[in-house]
Amino acid sequence: MSKSVRYSASPLLASKTPVWRSKFIVAGIAVAFGALAGRAAYIQVFGNDFFQRQGEVRFTRTLELPAYRGRILDRNGLILASSVPAPSIWAIPEDLDATPGQRAELARLLGMPLAELTKKLGNEDKNFVWLKRQVDAPVAKQIAALGIKGVYERKEYKRQYPEGETTAHVVGFTDVEDRGQEGIELTFNKELAGKPGSRRVIKDRLGRVVEDMGEQVPPVEGQDIQLSLDSKVQFVAYQKLRDAVTQHKAKAGSVVVLDTITGEVLALANYPSYVPDRRQNLTGEQLRNRAITDTFEPGSTMKPITVGMALEAGRITPRTIIETGPGRFSIGGFTISDTHDYGRLTVEGVIQKSSNVGALKIAQKMTPHEMWNTYSALGYGQKPQIQFPGAVTGRLRPWKTWKPVEQATMSYGYGLSASLFQMAHSYTSFAHDGQVIPATMLKSSEPATGVKVFSAENARAVRHMLQMAAAPGGTGPLAQTIGYSVGGKSGTAHKQVGKGYASNKYRAWFTGMAPIESPRIIVAVMIDEPSAGRYFGGQVAAPVFSEVVQQTLRMMGVQPDISVKPQIVTQAVAESF
Amino acid sequence: MTRFGLVLLVLAMASALYLVHTQYESRRLYVEMERAQAQARRLEVDNKGLQIEKRSQATPLRVEKLAKERLQMRTATPAITEYVSQKGSAVTAPRP
Repeated sequence: MSKSVRYSASPLLASKTPVWRSKFIVAGIAVAFGALAGRAAYIQVFGNDFFQRQGEVRFTRTLELPAYRGRILDRNGLILASSVPAPSIWAIPEDLDATPGQRAELARLLGMPLAELTKKLGNEDKNFVWLKRQVDAPVAKQIAALGIKGVYERKEYKRQYPEGETTAHVVGFTDVEDRGQEGIELTFNKELAGKPGSRRVIKDRLGRVVEDMGEQVPPVEGQDIQLSLDSKVQFVAYQKLRDAVTQHKAKAGSVVVLDTITGEVLALANYPSYVPDRRQNLTGEQLRNRAITDTFEPGSTMKPITVGMALEAGRITPRTIIETGPGRFSIGGFTISDTHDYGRLTVEGVIQKSSNVGALKIAQKMTPHEMWNTYSALGYGQKPQIQFPGAVTGRLRPWKTWKPVEQATMSYGYGLSASLFQMAHSYTSFAHDGQVIPATMLKSSEPATGVKVFSAENARAVRHMLQMAAAPGGTGPLAQTIGYSVGGKSGTAHKQVGKGYASNKYRAWFTGMAPIESPRIIVAVMIDEPSAGRYFGGQVAAPVFSEVVQQTLRMMGVQPDISVKPQIVTQAVAESF
Repeated sequence: MTRFGLVLLVLAMASALYLVHTQYESRRLYVEMERAQAQARRLEVDNKGLQIEKRSQATPLRVEKLAKERLQMRTATPAITEYVSQKGSAVTAPRP
């Protein structure tokens, strides 16, 4: 008992504790502190990254910053397509807690029978089920107001198309994931879509964002795409086309309107069409953009081109006399005939009367190679350089394989095929002083420069012939319109069915331009299978051309170039009785 | 010495409490800003929605229908249009 710790001065309280015990305690505490320091060093220095990450996982969140899909506008800035919020409703069946009344109400708001809703919610193993994608915002609000546990909404956007069926084929549509599926929505999907951004944030217990962590990636908003389309011209074109298709009990039809100075597509309408917002039960017939995807033999529309190239090669002049009598011509075992025996015609007369024999005799002054070169330069057998999905090439065989009879039939438009758009486009060569100019779906204010195919003088000569063809005495006098001089060529063909031609199915079209002295627009109209008696291009398609030309030029503010008086008199008579 | 220590302790405590307060305040303001931004975005989206609604009420189809039915208007033609040439004087198209 010699060594002991004294805790007090009082001998009564003298402890008998040996010294080693207190030393042992001190050492123990020191070791514990050492362990703590070691752990702290491990957490804060060596294992820092791991713990930092674990911490972040527990309180930081990555938020996606959605990019707004760009709008599609017409040339005047009017909206053709835009995104609006359309929340999607989803549920966790396991968590769902709703009274039968609430369920019925939910089913009603979702627009589905109660049985279907019950079936969707029946599978309790699933912890996620879409009830309905992209409902209207007010409906979503009502659903949220029901306050059913286990039913949630996800922010989504859907496209709206205010012009509806009028512009459906051009604008196209997107799928439920907002990806372009057709038309401009598909072609310019990348530009329209933009790129979503993201940010790291700290969220508090209530789910509020309280702090930013690190860098933000701002979203790249989708670009607006401004088209060359004029929604008013488009509307007129669609309306007149629809009326004509209905009136002539036709199967379908298309109209293309091109600006001859800039090469812009002002209107591109097809009928039948569809309402892009309601796409259930769509048929291919409705979906097809016929003006661009359907090809047919251009027929008489080619005759002015045949004449144009012969003029350009110097083989003929507009006054050259062509013998078309007796209205028939045999070549390679085939007989090519006109509807009448026109006898001796000038080149102008060949176009005016649309003589097949005359056209083939002019073509015989050319070599296949020369013809092929001109056709190709005008875009036949070439893929149209237009920003549109599914544009077809048409058919133009290599000139080396042409037989004499094929060269002859091609002169009046058989043995090759093209879309209505290609035909309208090839006529820019006559309208734009001999240059075929590139067509565009996007707005452009610059006059286009193109490839010279004809001289300005020859283009003018052909325009004069087109004017004659669309005047009384020609094949398309119904193309005449009040106030503006027009020129154009009608075409009618038996439809190809299988290997031959159907005797009672026709296709009628008219391609022309106005005002004829210095054209501003080209209008091409095609009516498929008119079956109400009349079927000639000059009877069925030319009136549509006339109305579209007049309304379009008036809306563009083009001054009338011919006196309107005579038409007014006749119109007054027609209207008052 | 002890008194100086106490002063330092009080200062340290005050500073710590102030830090807590500032942090709280900053988060509160941040939440507010966040909410304002969300509202701005929502208003922007609403605006776009209303624009498109306005547009769909003014499509050529509807305008023409209303003009014809309710206002008894008819489509203009060059025959009933007076043209004033840009250079200033002459009216080129004759009146009906």
